[in-house]
Amino acid sequence: MSTNPTHEVTSLLHAWGRGDEEALQKLVPLVYRELRQAARRYMAGERPGHLLQTTALVNETYLRLVGVRKVSWQNRAHFQAICAQLMRRILTDFARARGYQKRSGKVNRVTFTDALLIASQSEMDFAALDAAMKRLAEVDARKSRVVEMRFFGGLTVQESAEVLKVSQDTVMRDWKMAKAWLMRELNGEGHRGT
Amino acid sequence: MGKGIVEPDRWRQVEQLYHSALRLTAEERSGFLKNECRGDAKLCEEVESLLAYESSAKEFMEVPAFEVAVKQIARRETSENQADPVAIGETLRRFRILEKLGSGGMGVVYKAEDIRLHRTVALKFLPKRLVRDPESLERFEREAHAASALNHPNICTVYDIGEHEGQTFIAMELLEGQTLERLIRTQPLKKEEWLTFGIQITEGLRAAHLKGIIHRDIKPSNIFVTIDGQSKILDFGLAKLASPAGTSNDSYPQYDLEEENCTQGVSPETVSSAASHLSISLTGVAMGTAGYMSPEQIRGEKLDARTDIFSFGLVLYEMATGQRAFKGDTGPALQEAILTQTPSPARGVNPELPAKFEEIIGKALEKDRVARYQTASEILSALEILRQEIELKHPARWREVIIAVVVAGIIAIATFWFAKHQSASPQVAINLKLQQLTANSSENRVTNGAISPDGKYLAYIDPKGMYVKLIETGETQTIPQPDALRSKKVDWDIFSWFPDGRSFLANAHPPGEDETTWTSQGSSVWAVPVSGGAPRKLRDEAYAYSISRDGSTISFGTSTGKFGDREIWLMRSDGEQARKFYDTDENSAIGGLLWSPNGQRVIYVRTDESGNALVGRDLKGGPLTMLLPALVMNDVTDYSWLPDGRLIYSLREPQAIGRSSCNYWVMRLDARTGEPIEKPRRLTNWGGSCMSSTSATADGKKLTFSKWTDGSTVFVADLDAGGSHIINPRHFTLDEGFDYPQDWTADGKAIVFLSNRAAQFGIYKQSLNKDSPEVIFAGAANYRDIRVSPDGKWVISIVDPKSTGPSEPGKIMRVPITGGSPELIFRAEAHVPSHIFCARPPSFLCAIAEATEDRKQLIITSFDPVKGRGTELARFDFGRDMNGDGWLCDISPDGTRLAVSPGPEGPIRILSLRGQPAQVVKVKELNKMLILYWAADGKGLYVSNGIHGGTLSHVDLQGHAQVLWENYGGNWTIGLPSRDGRHLAIQGETGGSNIWTMENF
Repeated sequence: MSTNPTHEVTSLLHAWGRGDEEALQKLVPLVYRELRQAARRYMAGERPGHLLQTTALVNETYLRLVGVRKVSWQNRAHFQAICAQLMRRILTDFARARGYQKRSGKVNRVTFTDALLIASQSEMDFAALDAAMKRLAEVDARKSRVVEMRFFGGLTVQESAEVLKVSQDTVMRDWKMAKAWLMRELNGEGHRGT
Repeated sequence: MGKGIVEPDRWRQVEQLYHSALRLTAEERSGFLKNECRGDAKLCEEVESLLAYESSAKEFMEVPAFEVAVKQIARRETSENQADPVAIGETLRRFRILEKLGSGGMGVVYKAEDIRLHRTVALKFLPKRLVRDPESLERFEREAHAASALNHPNICTVYDIGEHEGQTFIAMELLEGQTLERLIRTQPLKKEEWLTFGIQITEGLRAAHLKGIIHRDIKPSNIFVTIDGQSKILDFGLAKLASPAGTSNDSYPQYDLEEENCTQGVSPETVSSAASHLSISLTGVAMGTAGYMSPEQIRGEKLDARTDIFSFGLVLYEMATGQRAFKGDTGPALQEAILTQTPSPARGVNPELPAKFEEIIGKALEKDRVARYQTASEILSALEILRQEIELKHPARWREVIIAVVVAGIIAIATFWFAKHQSASPQVAINLKLQQLTANSSENRVTNGAISPDGKYLAYIDPKGMYVKLIETGETQTIPQPDALRSKKVDWDIFSWFPDGRSFLANAHPPGEDETTWTSQGSSVWAVPVSGGAPRKLRDEAYAYSISRDGSTISFGTSTGKFGDREIWLMRSDGEQARKFYDTDENSAIGGLLWSPNGQRVIYVRTDESGNALVGRDLKGGPLTMLLPALVMNDVTDYSWLPDGRLIYSLREPQAIGRSSCNYWVMRLDARTGEPIEKPRRLTNWGGSCMSSTSATADGKKLTFSKWTDGSTVFVADLDAGGSHIINPRHFTLDEGFDYPQDWTADGKAIVFLSNRAAQFGIYKQSLNKDSPEVIFAGAANYRDIRVSPDGKWVISIVDPKSTGPSEPGKIMRVPITGGSPELIFRAEAHVPSHIFCARPPSFLCAIAEATEDRKQLIITSFDPVKGRGTELARFDFGRDMNGDGWLCDISPDGTRLAVSPGPEGPIRILSLRGQPAQVVKVKELNKMLILYWAADGKGLYVSNGIHGGTLSHVDLQGHAQVLWENYGGNWTIGLPSRDGRHLAIQGETGGSNIWTMENF
């Protein structure tokens, strides 16, 4: 393991971006480790009043992980788009490994137990989201990519527009409709039983 | 959807319509889409279903995936690192652990079985860090217990709190469903679901607040919506436990949250012992809840119930709009927003919200708690009224909507109403000119009547017929029964005259019913001409209420449900062109519609489980006006809308026992809006009587009404023909209150009765040759089944617990017949009300009949007035399940047989205490049985029924029934034979009812 993980991650990402699948296998544990560390910092900070710091910390970690600052502005958006793909894959696998899908395939069901224990936001089922995004891609590939970049990659509307070579307005419209479409999809329409 | 490949053209169409529709307001959308889809319903459906997710998707995926994942991992790691506090299969107290349901930051949850009550529960172990010190744990237990003791449908019930190896656990209701947070985030709430849940949550809060329990952390994730649509507030008391020590100095209890404090406008100021030194960052109760704190919570001030009102306001806003009221990326930014900003108007987000919603939200979210709704009841009534208004705006949906006017809301309105009332100084009109128009006896009460529009005639009804009286001369003409009804017995009532004064409107009701239960069922509407000609039937299965001021339209009720008629219809004055006007659901009833003087508005009564409410509405639509809420209206005996625009109503004075006293009140209503424009004013200063059948002349100068008094007295009659005939019934007790005969003394020369002549009920004894009684015992409010012991020395009785109901068994008491204090003989065992009775010498048997808990068996046990409970004599099956608490039982004078009925509808069985076979007394048409006594000869029974105001019959054991007495004007009667069989004590009605006219009101 390199003493400079950021640098390593950056070069691996570039390699994966060029189609090197082996690079991904090296990337995954590194990203997991970063995720875990971030999570631990988050837990340590899980005291009242530390919300700001925690959120900032998470974002900072992400920026550090992908080493955005070292990438020239010209390439940055494209580079982030690759990161977004990576993140999507890792989180989807992560979710599968965790058996998220056992929850009747829906992200929406928060059981009574969850309500008693979590008492904050409910869980996002990345595996279900990934499947829904694949279905969206069949209908409208660009919208699925917009979601990937914005949600998984944290790209701004401007950055996404640049990568996709469309207007910012188009990205905004795609984003809006994709969110509604995915939400409907994840909700399984009429699964609410009330 | 989304499964198959969508044609690109199709997709573009969807996309284009979706974005176009997004630019329109929610109201414009459906019209736009209908037009654009050109009959392509599938296309419209697709776009609409996407649009439905527009607002709930707004915050979806706006937090980067990385951050979401980090938090999830964090939560999971925490839960994995938690040691299991208990093993599967282990039993703690009465809970056997079945399986682990999950674990997280707030502890570990197990599914467990309550082995004592055989129900499944959730056991939640609190993380050790939450339970800092015994004091905070104790407070938490107190609050959680107090909240659970409410056993409120909108609060998750906590069954028990315990400790296992140093770890605190909570046993609670195991629910199925999802959190409100999830519900809002994933899918827009269905139309007006926000209101339904809002009302439910407020009801839960109200119940808790009244017990002095504050939640302090109301937020969507703390509200659970079960799969059958019930919202439940979770974790009462937990927020306080979870808050860091010293950050919030609210103590328990905060202040008395009794309604009175608040409705009088006294807003309890709570003093902050200035937690000003506490930094903002320390006040949060738990991570992620910053967005739902009240300003005072953020400031670290002392908290009271109003903090929950604010947080609930935020939840309500979010339910209605799908968005958070305050946004901020960080805790401090959110807190800053809560302290300083006003949320963007909710109707900007959801244009379908009613304008009044903004008002309610605005008041709930007042930064200064003094300006906020002071109690959950206040906001509850605001929501209730809003719901009624919404229902009225959507008459098409009227029927579907369940209207449960919540008692709580009504109480709040009523309290306010009474406050208004009390502040109104009684300005009794002193120049009232009164004249009695009829002079019927108490046995022949005038049941109702109405004055003609020109004031010349009075049409009225008594049990013998229907009449028109020329008021000036007193000349009275009997209206012949219509041919069609000649062979039938009907009860008539008159509601109003046609404006031309030549005929009036009358209803023919099936006989025997109490007039308060009259409905359209079996009733018919008739137009009755004054001068000659037969009454003409206008409609069957209808109950007419009024004629419009121009005489063109008749309103009537039909379609009888649980609470009365459920539909109001209109028809032309000739009975043609009937059409439905309003209707309501099965859990309510509407009726008694009257038109306003200008014919633009109507008022009518809405009835549901909370009682009656008088409401008004514009014929063209618009909001419903609450004129008299249930708490008031339930004591209103009659109402009318006077030609001068005043609402007049007869209101019963609050009085515990004794005669009813009513007075007329008036309240001026705005002709256009129908709203009250002055305080209610008392018009009369009468006592001892009540009014009904109020009607006015067209010029509004004369009013007629029936004025009635009630009372109950003991009659004595001589028995003849083996007890099956009575001769010479005469008044025996001579006071104006209520007297109820209970038994005869052993010598047969005096009657023991209950009377309220001395303000409260007492047991009295009066000899046949005297006209005043002696008191045996004065404070006998809950005494029933009063019997004289066979030896004649004691009066024995069952005393029901003060809180009537089957919860506590009754006590059997004795008082010396010569007077004295009651002493306990023994306690009944059954929770179902028991009966006691005694035989006559030579038998000295007294016995108690107790029903088993399953109400299938009757256990007869002897007792002695001095020695107490004796031996079990017999057990009988009821034959079929007994009906409620209304079962009947008496012992034969020789002590060998019982007459038993499992309920008011019989059958009467004669059961032998000597092992003889049971016998059924087959009586035709003997329903609504209330009381039965054996005849002195043991060959028959005196049975009282609740028909015709109370009917008394002699029934022989072969089933032949002979009616002896009808108690017109009453509800029931009693027939009690003396031991020698020579006399019968009968409960009869006194008082009466006649029509009066009033001027200068």
